[in-house]
Amino acid sequence: MREEIRKIQSLMEAAEYVTDAPVATSVHLALSLKKPLLIEGHAGVGKTEVAKVMARVLETNLIRLQCYEGLDAAAALYEWNYQKQLLHIKLHEGAARALDQEEHEIFSEPFLLKRPLLQAITQERAPVLLVDEVDRADEEFEAFMLEIFSDWQVTIPEIGTVKATHPPHVILTSNRTRELSDALRRRCLYLWVDYPTFDKEVAIVERKVPGIDGRLAREISRFMESLRRVRLAKVPGVAETLDWAQALAGLHADHLDETIVTETLGCVLKDADDIRRFHAEVAKGGLTPFLQVP
Amino acid sequence: MPARALTRAVVRFGGLLRRQSLPITPRQVLDAVRALDHLDVLDREEVRLGLRATFVTRPEEAAVFDRAFDAFWRARTEADEVAEALAGPAVPEDGGGPELESQGAARERLALEGWGEMEQEDGDDPLSVPAASEAEAMAARDFSTFSAEQLDDVLRLTVKIAKRLARRVSRRRRPVRRRGRVDLRRTLRANLTRGEIIELRYRRRKRRKVRLVLLCDVSGSMDLYSRFLLQFLFALQHVFARVETFTFSVHLTRVTDHLHARSYREVLKRLQDVRDWSGGTKIGESLAEFNRRWPHLVDRRTIVIVLSDGWDTGDPDVLATELLRIKRRAGRVIWLNPLLGNPSYEPLTRGMAAALPLVDHFAAAHNLAALRDLADRLHL
Repeated sequence: MREEIRKIQSLMEAAEYVTDAPVATSVHLALSLKKPLLIEGHAGVGKTEVAKVMARVLETNLIRLQCYEGLDAAAALYEWNYQKQLLHIKLHEGAARALDQEEHEIFSEPFLLKRPLLQAITQERAPVLLVDEVDRADEEFEAFMLEIFSDWQVTIPEIGTVKATHPPHVILTSNRTRELSDALRRRCLYLWVDYPTFDKEVAIVERKVPGIDGRLAREISRFMESLRRVRLAKVPGVAETLDWAQALAGLHADHLDETIVTETLGCVLKDADDIRRFHAEVAKGGLTPFLQVP
Repeated sequence: MPARALTRAVVRFGGLLRRQSLPITPRQVLDAVRALDHLDVLDREEVRLGLRATFVTRPEEAAVFDRAFDAFWRARTEADEVAEALAGPAVPEDGGGPELESQGAARERLALEGWGEMEQEDGDDPLSVPAASEAEAMAARDFSTFSAEQLDDVLRLTVKIAKRLARRVSRRRRPVRRRGRVDLRRTLRANLTRGEIIELRYRRRKRRKVRLVLLCDVSGSMDLYSRFLLQFLFALQHVFARVETFTFSVHLTRVTDHLHARSYREVLKRLQDVRDWSGGTKIGESLAEFNRRWPHLVDRRTIVIVLSDGWDTGDPDVLATELLRIKRRAGRVIWLNPLLGNPSYEPLTRGMAAALPLVDHFAAAHNLAALRDLADRLHL
């Protein structure tokens, strides 16, 4: 294994992120090839976490652009501070000033509201730019983003062209609520994050919930592994595992039994049909099948 | 730059992946070569992960990649032979071998082979499109009453109508009652010389496109209608944000990616491969599979269209439960049943009876006029 990759892995471990070779290799390549990294995976497997940890490892800022339907260039790039501009005009109403001077003044940097993309290219040190849940944004926005990513410069008509001196490291995440365009996919390195293996999940639980009973951590992970095999509408992710582990640790549990699972099931299953299905399974064979090695 | 031999190997490997129908761009090959600079090329696993990050762009492709990687890098010197060997069995000629085909299945297969013949051609000989009055008569006729020779004409007409509709739909503006939000940016610009805000500029909320999810029954007699519906919506597709297409009889198959092929002829040829030939229709099971594997495709901006005659050999309760699941998340559920075109038809089959209360719009889609009406329903 390449020294750099091992280093990234250990740095990520030190930043409280349990990683594996695919993640470390992808992050290493994204950094050295200076390409955006597209991370896809089910909800709650820790996609966003990769960007956060990366920022911590690189000791740089994390700039987050949360995507949503209808997100447009104004909300992502920049906007003028209209209220401030209006106030400024009002304040100088009496003073007979030339129009172009006035215009020059209110369309200058103090009146500019930088949104995440513009922030990302005006940093002293290359930040990590997290474009979260890019699948929620419209396809038009995807195209707009590709344009920005290709040369890292933005033209503001009133001010001029801003070019990044330190292009950001870009992480995009997607939950696959919509297929992303091929153009975007090809521009990025790609990483699919699956649910963790049993060993990895135990490691994550032990890392994130300090002081948890070792047996309980293993039982929780085994239980989650089995649960993900049941046909559920909302399959619980690692986030749910951790919530649940926290809850159980808080209740000073040291093993799983039917009572405590039923009482805390809300941490794990969040769909009425799923809960019904789970209870049916338990009524059939008890909790034991969930705690056995498949 | 890595050693020349290695670079060439990566390029050849890219070619191999392309033959496995991964859409690899030259850019990706270049990135892969560059990536080797940053990897320990003696560590096979690391090279695999690194190349996978550059060549694979969606999870479905990972398995193909891994197979190809194992085959290619095991014996790099014989790479081309391996590639040949891989390309052979990867594209099966026959679904399950001829001996498994019943007589009925063979007939269906023959019918399907005709699918490839109806590629749409723009700027086609205008004489081949029927005159207006004739077209109207054609529009009212049930698809199943046309002879095989006429079907080509009808299909061409279907595409024509769909294209005309597409233009109309995309130009149409719906009247808005409110004037929208004040657009401060343009307001300020417009009033800059006045020192006072006199004239307000408005911004209208952008109208977002609707997504479609199509679930087409391709068993027995439904096959013909599915063909027309697919053809019709294929020609309409750019009106929608996205069209996801599935076919089902006993199992559900996602054919969206097949429909992205360059020509429709190719598309329909490929659809033959995904058909299952056993009889019976399990709508409920198919919908269940859809809900399990592709729940993320349905949201409030999605119209779900099911095309089926409702002859369900499965449990009607399953059908009702699964359809309800879809209805809860979808913007609208439309059920198309070509039998409805027959005036004496009543939706009494168990499947249809279970589904009907959960459907927002129930229509026929058995002829061109019905397809045209359908287009008017496809907005939220």
